[in-house]
Amino acid sequence: MNTDTIYPKVREIIADVLAFEESEIQRDGSLVDDYSAESIDFLDLVYQLEREFKIKVPRGMIEQEARRGLSEDFEEHGRLTDKGLEHLKTYLSEVPEDRFTPRMQVSLIPTLFTPETFCKIVLREMEGGEQAASG
Amino acid sequence: MGMIFRDSGIAGRTAIVTGGGRGIGREIVKVLAAEGADVTFFYLNNRGAAEALQAECGASGFNVTALPVDVRNAEDCGRAVESVLGRTDRIDILVNNAGVLRDNLLPAFTEDEISDVLATNVLGVFHITGVVAPVMIRQRGGAIINISSVSGEKGGKGQTNYAASKGAINAFTRALAVELAPRKIRVNAVAPGLIDTDMSREVRELAGDQVLDRILLGRYGTPAEVASVVCFLASRYGEYINGEIIHVDGGFKMA
Repeated sequence: MNTDTIYPKVREIIADVLAFEESEIQRDGSLVDDYSAESIDFLDLVYQLEREFKIKVPRGMIEQEARRGLSEDFEEHGRLTDKGLEHLKTYLSEVPEDRFTPRMQVSLIPTLFTPETFCKIVLREMEGGEQAASG
Repeated sequence: MGMIFRDSGIAGRTAIVTGGGRGIGREIVKVLAAEGADVTFFYLNNRGAAEALQAECGASGFNVTALPVDVRNAEDCGRAVESVLGRTDRIDILVNNAGVLRDNLLPAFTEDEISDVLATNVLGVFHITGVVAPVMIRQRGGAIINISSVSGEKGGKGQTNYAASKGAINAFTRALAVELAPRKIRVNAVAPGLIDTDMSREVRELAGDQVLDRILLGRYGTPAEVASVVCFLASRYGEYINGEIIHVDGGFKMA
């Protein structure tokens, strides 16, 4: 199984949650910037993915996974360090490079999420949550 | 048991009532069931009372299920809500009613008297609401009604723990109303005054006529009088009320 097999259902759920037509959803679109997703939408999205795919996504999982192995070097005063940024780029490899900004606020990481990000999360949890969701 | 409102919009809805086996909760279960809701109520200890209520409602042709749930335990709450969803696949009305009283003067409090009250009255509401809210978010609608108390706003000797818990519930209600409003989920609280229940008996006996004189209507309230307001908030008649604390206390708060 790969993210291609999961994507149609993930797209359907994203379209439903964000009130868009499925055809309008781009796999690498920014859920926040392109589809106006808010925090409550992410909650809804994760909940629906959990029920559809019979998985459990730990809350705050993406940020925790992105930090793995870096601990305090990941951020400084709420902003990503250079190391943290590179780590995040590797972890969110599906996100186009130009959307990452140096010293970006950690709280803005969700603005990077794309439909593919959620496909990877689903795949990872379906496979037992063991492999890093790095592509 | 009869219907309170005509065409309340509650018929066919799914409701959860915590602390539903006795007192005010029991009356809320009966009223929502009489309006046609499929009601699951949670109870902690008194299995006999819970089974009696379920049987009484069943005999009236109402759809009522009793579940033993400790709201202090988050996992227990998660399992209970999943079990309701397994049967109904939706939750339209949540009434957070479970609560305990452990009155004492502040310096005399034991740690248990403080933590028991906060664990049930505050954490319990977080636990249940935390698993019900995503369901309502998915549905794009729902009504959450928290049972607060006049103690949340009016000072009462020996009740610092209980008052703190109910003040927290009032603040929780307002904050959650803001959070969930975009998905058409309403969050309100009902704050009863002195109601004629087993739970308040000791308070009423200790206070005696002195407190009765301070209730503007000159009498204690009944569980049914609280339940009818809960029912109103859950119904289509309360559809434009959000983030409110409705006092049902015969004017006690003002006196």
